[in-house]
Amino acid sequence: MNSLVSRRRDGLKTFLLAATLSVAALAGPAHAAPVKGGTISVATIGEPPTLDPMISTADLVGLISQHIYETLYTFDAKWNLTPLLAQALPTVSADGLTVTIPLRTDVTFHDGSKMTIDDVIASLQRWTTTASRGKQTAPLIKAIEAADDHTVRITLTQPYAPLTALLAMNNAAAVIMPKSKIAATITDYIGTGPYMVKARVPDQYLQLVRFPGYKSRGGQPDGYGGAREQYLDEIRFVPVPNANTRLESAVAGQYDYVDSIAVESAGKLKSSKSQAVLLKPFGWPRLVMNTKQGIMANQKMRQAVQMALNEEDMLAAAFGSTDYYTVDGAMYPKGYPWYTDRGTKAYNKGDTEGAKKLIAEAGIPDRTIRILTSQQYEFHYKMALVAAEYLKQAGFKVDMQVVDWATLTQRRQDPALWDIFITHSPFLPEPALIDFPSKNSPGWWDTPRRNAALDAFNRATSQEERVKLWGDVQQVIFDEVPFIKVGDFNAVAAKSPALEGVTAAPWPYFWNAWKASK
Amino acid sequence: MLSYLFNRLLGLVAVMFLVATIVFVIIRVTPGDPAAVMLGPEATQQDIAALRTRLGLDRPLPVQYVTWLGQLARGDLGQSIFLNKPVLSALADRAEPTFWLTLLSLIIATAIALPVGILSAVKRGSTLDQSVVSFSMFTSSVPSFWLGLLLMQVFAVKLGWLPVSGYGGPDASFGTRLSHLILPAVVLGLVNSALITRFIRASMLDVLRDDYVRTARAKGLPERKVILKHAVRNALIPILTVLGLTTALLISGAVVTETVFGLPGVGSLVVSAVLRRDYPVIQGALLVVAAIYVLINLFIDLLYLVVDPRVRY
Repeated sequence: MNSLVSRRRDGLKTFLLAATLSVAALAGPAHAAPVKGGTISVATIGEPPTLDPMISTADLVGLISQHIYETLYTFDAKWNLTPLLAQALPTVSADGLTVTIPLRTDVTFHDGSKMTIDDVIASLQRWTTTASRGKQTAPLIKAIEAADDHTVRITLTQPYAPLTALLAMNNAAAVIMPKSKIAATITDYIGTGPYMVKARVPDQYLQLVRFPGYKSRGGQPDGYGGAREQYLDEIRFVPVPNANTRLESAVAGQYDYVDSIAVESAGKLKSSKSQAVLLKPFGWPRLVMNTKQGIMANQKMRQAVQMALNEEDMLAAAFGSTDYYTVDGAMYPKGYPWYTDRGTKAYNKGDTEGAKKLIAEAGIPDRTIRILTSQQYEFHYKMALVAAEYLKQAGFKVDMQVVDWATLTQRRQDPALWDIFITHSPFLPEPALIDFPSKNSPGWWDTPRRNAALDAFNRATSQEERVKLWGDVQQVIFDEVPFIKVGDFNAVAAKSPALEGVTAAPWPYFWNAWKASK
Repeated sequence: MLSYLFNRLLGLVAVMFLVATIVFVIIRVTPGDPAAVMLGPEATQQDIAALRTRLGLDRPLPVQYVTWLGQLARGDLGQSIFLNKPVLSALADRAEPTFWLTLLSLIIATAIALPVGILSAVKRGSTLDQSVVSFSMFTSSVPSFWLGLLLMQVFAVKLGWLPVSGYGGPDASFGTRLSHLILPAVVLGLVNSALITRFIRASMLDVLRDDYVRTARAKGLPERKVILKHAVRNALIPILTVLGLTTALLISGAVVTETVFGLPGVGSLVVSAVLRRDYPVIQGALLVVAAIYVLINLFIDLLYLVVDPRVRY
């Protein structure tokens, strides 16, 4: 049997991923031993729409619910797959159609019941019918069944390498919950995680307390995997939607951790009661093209946009200092196993004359581009402003539509209403997790080349082959321009100097964290 | 009197109906989809459509409207899409911070406005009077968010005397919760004191010109008694009106101040509901606010009976 996920060879460069912890004034003594006890307050960007991680793709939901629920797998510090509720990595049959997952036998839910094979199967089945990532995978799954009392067998209709990564993701997540609690709408949040829900007052706080029956994996902490120690008695998530209020709270030291500080304000943390936490790199913003209808349905016009843009200027406007961004067209930054520079010659050209030629070749008389953006994310808006100017120089007319986020999420579902919208996401550990525009999602990118490249990538079973095929996918992206990556950007959070054991991560977590003083 | 009360209550029903209809129409024609907001950025169109069906948002607007009116007739404000709980319950959760914020703000505003407005009228034309007029103009012009941020910087961030935001955690004592309310209450108190001061001053100036005040002085009554017993009492009606309106305004949600200070009151609930397109909460909250406005006005009108024996309904 082949292992679906192979560890990278020793010869591969060890790379810096998301776990750079950069703390201001870090020239102190070695950290003291962890202290058990204490409560921390974590300021978040808002109230999560739900605590059910299957039904939402919002990062905020994943950030919070990952303390309550667990998946069969997760990612270690190098973004390799590692078992969490599974006993070991899955084994895959030679034909790639059967995935066998051994389960741990020492796991208990928050209600005291033991995790059984029935709970796992029922949870995975709910995932395939409820979670967007599960529904995307469902057509490829023939059956989910018990091989024995402690082993799940998933039978596929075709080889599908991303399956385990999808089972490890923490939003639209394949979390395991008691079969008895499974319903269309979950109201009783019972998981296996190190912390459980004690009280929730929406828009005020969510109180999680240590789960006494938790059994951590052995060994050392390793990213999201490895040991999960429960030093803290309690974690309180407090929604603070106003960005300035979050910043001032961090400066005043009101919270132990403050998520999502605007990078242009990060300087204020230098002389404050909190320390900056820099996650480098965090993610990538992109301009998504409407390939279905309107001016961007024409490939030459999309290529003209790509040629006209100066991404470096866009990043500078959005993030200010190069401490917070990198000019890089590759879909993954250097150091990631998925890094390739294929196609990147088309990136950051700022070639107005070249764009004009392409526009003329496209032969479309109406050159109005509707850019849909929101000031919900200020950097989206700033990038849009700079992009608009470059597009105007190339001969486009630009109709900037700046709306609130709720309006944007509605309008982008209708191909008649926009030509370009702006979004962003963290760097995800597996390319299959990226929300590519598809025939069912805004952008509606659905071409033979796209489908062939992604299909080949998803069917490949060896890591080497997948890395090579990812290069093909990236080339198609640059050729067909369904979206334009702007660059890499970093994220800033803030923490109390007394809070130790926190690793900078796209979805911060607080197991393994402790307070040096209660 | 009874028929007056009956007519006022009928008026309340008419106002409720109008508000319910106008709010329903406005928020339904506003772009934005609560299902898309809830499911997150990577939700597919099918997921969104399925949630819209589950929430009843795909039904024709007239059907949704009639359903909404039917619920209202039964005293049911509906279920929050986002919070997954009854709207009344969501409002009740927010009532405490809003109640205390309103009370504190009113106390601060009145404590400033009453003596200052009376003195300003009595010493009309003096340096004190001119200072009061200027200060009132300043505080009524200054944006409340700017004042809030300024006070936050000084007292919360720099001095650390008070918290920046929030309302305290699950185990917060009354004193802790009070500490969270001080800065926003000062902001609202200051801003609202300006209008109340001007009203008191104007009302007192009117009354001080009246014959009976001249008579009281001619009779040799001490000036303090003339002002406090005779003048102020007769100036009370407009003062009560503005206090009533201010109270209603504060209860309906000091939206900006609550947002700046992260206070989980009615105002910030309405703002969040609008951003999330949580239609039942927007509709229900605004309906309750409208009802409070009408009831406070009724209460003030009834208070006139106590304050002014000449008033009859």
